[in-house]
Amino acid sequence: MRDIWLIAKREYLEQVKGKAFKVTTILIPVVFAAIFGVIAIAGKNSGVGKHVVIATADPTLAERVRNPLIADKDAEMIVDVVAPATEADHERLLAQVDQKQIDGFLWLTIDGGTANATFESRSSGDFATEGRLQSAVNRALVEQRLAARGIPASDVQALTKDIDMKTVQVKNGKETATNALSTFWAAYVMAFLLSFTVVMYGMNVGRSVIQEKTSRIFEVMLATVTPGDMLAGKLIGIGAVGLTQIGIWVTAAALFAGSAMGMRLMSGDMKIHVSVPEVVLFILYFVLGYALYSTLFAGLAATCDTEQELQQYSPLAAVPIWLSFGMIAFIVSNPNSVWSVAISMFPPCAPITMFLRLASQFPPYWQIALSLGLMVLSVYIVLWLSSRIYRVGILMYGKRATLPEMLRWLRYS
Amino acid sequence: MSTVVNLDRISKSYEQKIAVRELSLQIEEGTMFGLLGPNGSGKTSSIRMMIGITLPDSGTVNLFGKPFSRESLKRVGYLPEERGLYKKMKVMDQLAFMGELRGLDPAVAGKRAHDWCERMQILEAVNKKTEELSKGMQQKIQFIATLLHDPDLVIMDEPFSGLDPVNATLLQDTLIDLKNAGKAILFSTHRMDQVEKLCDAICLIDRGRPVLQGGMREVKSRYERNRVAMNFEGDASFLQHPAIAIYKNYSGQAEIELKPGANAQDLLREAVGKVTITKFELMEPSLEEIFIRTVGEKVDA
Repeated sequence: MRDIWLIAKREYLEQVKGKAFKVTTILIPVVFAAIFGVIAIAGKNSGVGKHVVIATADPTLAERVRNPLIADKDAEMIVDVVAPATEADHERLLAQVDQKQIDGFLWLTIDGGTANATFESRSSGDFATEGRLQSAVNRALVEQRLAARGIPASDVQALTKDIDMKTVQVKNGKETATNALSTFWAAYVMAFLLSFTVVMYGMNVGRSVIQEKTSRIFEVMLATVTPGDMLAGKLIGIGAVGLTQIGIWVTAAALFAGSAMGMRLMSGDMKIHVSVPEVVLFILYFVLGYALYSTLFAGLAATCDTEQELQQYSPLAAVPIWLSFGMIAFIVSNPNSVWSVAISMFPPCAPITMFLRLASQFPPYWQIALSLGLMVLSVYIVLWLSSRIYRVGILMYGKRATLPEMLRWLRYS
Repeated sequence: MSTVVNLDRISKSYEQKIAVRELSLQIEEGTMFGLLGPNGSGKTSSIRMMIGITLPDSGTVNLFGKPFSRESLKRVGYLPEERGLYKKMKVMDQLAFMGELRGLDPAVAGKRAHDWCERMQILEAVNKKTEELSKGMQQKIQFIATLLHDPDLVIMDEPFSGLDPVNATLLQDTLIDLKNAGKAILFSTHRMDQVEKLCDAICLIDRGRPVLQGGMREVKSRYERNRVAMNFEGDASFLQHPAIAIYKNYSGQAEIELKPGANAQDLLREAVGKVTITKFELMEPSLEEIFIRTVGEKVDA
């Protein structure tokens, strides 16, 4: 135990004092903030300041479409009306779009009882503008029809008034007042943080093994300590570095959230709400996820001679992460579907996907327990395999070991 | 004198290859033992079994009179052939860490590291990172790390390979001091000429098998002193003397091998009458020659 402690302490101090630790501690939150900032700003600003033309035969209808569009202050839309519009107007508007005088035009025809609306523009992916036009057209048509049935204009206003939907999450049979978005963001950020740190520190262990191999320190060490103690010390030391870094981030984030600027930024939809079970689960999933990836990469690193050779194994870490994040939309909207449950049980993906599920709904405790149990089991298996390969591999120099060679090493005592 | 290392018929094989076959040897305290043999003959494999890095397939390892246990490793200092240091660590931290791993408490480890650095004249480097040091300095630090915990058994695998002459001499002198202080020292090498004057006892191994072992004098005494190196001026016809088996004459510098049982003094008497002799040396065979003869015989047999 004393040896493990000494090795862990050495590893921890070396990494915490190192340049890489300082750089990542500062840089990763900056990159995160930048990514989320860009997403938020881009979301708010998409479809802003567009110049569109509404063309239809009926001037009243055109005005009815135009009114809500102008009323939406966020959109800053310039809306012109061409009514009554003719085929010649259609050609002229097309030319204007082509010459970039306008961003697009809405061609609205009423043929008997059915209305046809077409929005023609250069870009085909402006969902924000399309959404605004869609709701404006629907609303205008409803007003038009109500008016046609002789309902007074003032009543029409009252009848078509929009409401804002509130979201309330039901927890343990009780309504909780928290905004759904705040819990969503919390879990979402945690899932991101987990994917980053688990893999980063897992790879870190691999790199550290390679460095010890290239510096030819192993045999010197093995004259007094066992390979098992060396590996255990390294895993504990680097894992503690990871927890330290997360601790720094969390403390910094808490201080920031408490500050005046943070209060303003974090209010409303961007508010982040973290519960105690989430914190406990975060630590559990970090420790187990880290243990899984780090033991895997420790074993693989022992078979390599250079960091470049180790890089070839990096898809083993990258693929589970792509898979997890590729399923974001699906998991968030269907947190309890068979696929969501299955992937949150699959150990390499469990840390990330379980937090994505947490983002929309707290899963049953038995599922969390099962996923943690499966992770413990897989850590045990990978540790068994890796420690055997590690024991032989660290004394082998030369070319990277092939799979059959690794299998033979498993049999050596 | 007590036996520090006792290997009893240890063997180890990997896949098809037999690394070590039925090796037995004893190393006494206060002696310097040479484990000699060409590259790939099983020296490193034998040492690794001796200190528990690998386990023998058969045979037993006794250290300090007891069956091998990891506890006895605290009394062993091992400098492997593939040796290195933590590059990013400061010299003093590194030495203290190595000392602590071998059971010293931090204060003692620091004190001893300081003393050794003073002795090796590298005190000015103790607060530098290893990667900033010259190769020669790193080698000195490796010796110190090996010896810091005052081991009773010092094992060095190819210690002289890659050493500059100054450090080689320094290491040699340090090893002799340790031997005189009663430590048992084992080193392995394939450069037999380097170690001939250092070893008290040797074991020659070839392809995993011990081919010749014993005390240095005893091993050498098994071989006749049948080589003569002589420098002379004058008529070389005395080289036809019946005692000579083979000779090479490089204009007055002759290398002569005598027939078995021949008396070198007869040859000297004959020569004195015919030429002016500036040198006449009766030489014992070098370890290298003994090795070639031994292995050669085995191959022929």
